[in-house]
Amino acid sequence: MTDRLLHDLALMVPETVLTVTIIVALVADIIFRRSRAIVPAIVMIGLTVAGIIVLGQPHESFAIFSGMLAVDPFASFFKVLILLSAILVVVFSLGFNELNANGRKVGEYYVLIAALTLGMMLMAGANNMLMMYLAIELSSISSYALSGYTREAEDASEASLKYVIYGALSSGLMLYGISMIYGLTGHFTFSEISSALPPVLEQGSTASLALMFAGLLIVAGLGYKISAVPFHFWAPDVYEGAPITITAFLSVASKAGGFALMIRFLSVSFLDSSVVTLGAGSWAVLPGFDWRSVVVALSVLTMTVGNLVAIWQNNLKRLLAYSSIAHAGYMMMGLVVLTNEGISAIMLYFVIYLFMNFGAFYIVMLIANKIGSEDIEDYRGLGSRAPFLMVALAIFLVSLTGLPPTAGFIGKLYLFVALLNSGWVWLAVVGALNSVIALYYYIRVLRNVFLRGTEQAAAPLQLGRLEGVVVVLLLVPTVLLGLYFSPLAALAQASTKMLGMP
Amino acid sequence: MEQYIPIAIMILIGVVAGVVFANINRFLGPHKPTEEKLSTYESGMEPVRTARERFSVKFYLVAMLFIVFDIEIVFLYPWAVVFRQLAPAGIIGMIVFLVILVIGLIYEWRKGGMDWR
Repeated sequence: MTDRLLHDLALMVPETVLTVTIIVALVADIIFRRSRAIVPAIVMIGLTVAGIIVLGQPHESFAIFSGMLAVDPFASFFKVLILLSAILVVVFSLGFNELNANGRKVGEYYVLIAALTLGMMLMAGANNMLMMYLAIELSSISSYALSGYTREAEDASEASLKYVIYGALSSGLMLYGISMIYGLTGHFTFSEISSALPPVLEQGSTASLALMFAGLLIVAGLGYKISAVPFHFWAPDVYEGAPITITAFLSVASKAGGFALMIRFLSVSFLDSSVVTLGAGSWAVLPGFDWRSVVVALSVLTMTVGNLVAIWQNNLKRLLAYSSIAHAGYMMMGLVVLTNEGISAIMLYFVIYLFMNFGAFYIVMLIANKIGSEDIEDYRGLGSRAPFLMVALAIFLVSLTGLPPTAGFIGKLYLFVALLNSGWVWLAVVGALNSVIALYYYIRVLRNVFLRGTEQAAAPLQLGRLEGVVVVLLLVPTVLLGLYFSPLAALAQASTKMLGMP
Repeated sequence: MEQYIPIAIMILIGVVAGVVFANINRFLGPHKPTEEKLSTYESGMEPVRTARERFSVKFYLVAMLFIVFDIEIVFLYPWAVVFRQLAPAGIIGMIVFLVILVIGLIYEWRKGGMDWR
């Protein structure tokens, strides 16, 4: 038994490193009370080491701790994505005025970021309904505290409280669903659920009705995590009120964890392994809970509502919040097609989304540092005051719209190709129409920046050297991945290998 | 059914003894009631009042501390029952768990969570 445990622990090293990082950072925060740099440094080292270990893990699938967690290429891909965004968030936070103002203690902030990252990494690997719930709670509780971290700002407290209330409700719903599925099948592990379901479904319509309710309840819990409409009501307020670094983190990494969990739960638990006639990389869904229709409905609703409401926003942070809701809708389209092609399109999209979304948020943060406002009206005339930043913002926003030659276009292209290959033409059309709506509100920002000036000329904004480097580091992939994307696409296709899937 | 008869007798004895001891005082003891004597003893607090009252957030900190150590006991008892079979993984695991818990305690202590200000 000890051998088994050691083998499992060896595959758990990235998570263990992060746990140790959290503990060491907490202790360092107590011992070195004066220093503001030591905790972020420890967290940064921990995140980097964990990332390097994840990259070095074998390209195979393992179930560890009696099937509680899965270590497979699919999980590793998302873990790298989450760790990369955590590192970016730490870098952003170091130069964020609102956070560092008034001599605020920031030690716990970085510790909580590490805890949130750990929770999301566990979400990416969770292979058991209990682990799924625990991972979601670990990441949720850390993010409640983080979104209210600048608590003297009134909207930060509001954001935190709203987040807690919605989070409590949705995790309650999810627990109810989990208990129903456990009652039906007697199993918690995803793959065992899928093998135990067919005999249950033969019992008659009552069982399949219960299964449908349970599935819907769990999808509600997961939908909250990825801010899918109609479970999105918390998102705009939290995204607007939270410190902007946390907003960026929640909109990318938290969604990545939620998506990884949703993809794994839906495809493994409801896998119909009796259907083997499909081609390679495709699978079938068990009858009883037709989650495909649910996801189609959620996807269409999410992108349409996200985009339509984004048009009316005057606060750029809030606009980006709605746009990130819409992007969750785009990505859900990839889950509908039940092929590895769709999954790999989601993964590719996430990588690109990481760079362009972080870029947009970083520039909003830099401008907020300087002019103290996130209002789109206050962006007037910034095109001449900060030309480099605004051109970069333009590129990020164009990429978020999905226009060539930026990376956002490639992300959408792969999604739409996966849809068209499986015959979901109407869904692809809805997605394309939504991109047109998105174009309007992104361009509206750029019109204020470049075409509308202010009466009195203001001094140009100074940009620090380090800030410029970070912007360039985000800008290069956003442009480059639009031109040269085949290695990344190949990596995403190779990383669709999931424990328990054909 | 027969094996339940002793249990039934035990229950009967328990109920009778309880009722007798609770009421025997009324017949044997002196009976001079005052308001303080009749009210429930709650460490000097008023036993009945409105529940819609604000109280210090410090109580939550104490409650959290209590939960942490409560959970520790919940884990320690079953572990202590079987720890011979679990060795050495079980011992190392429990040491790690306790160290994490102690760090949490030190953290709360140093951050002033236990100062009742």
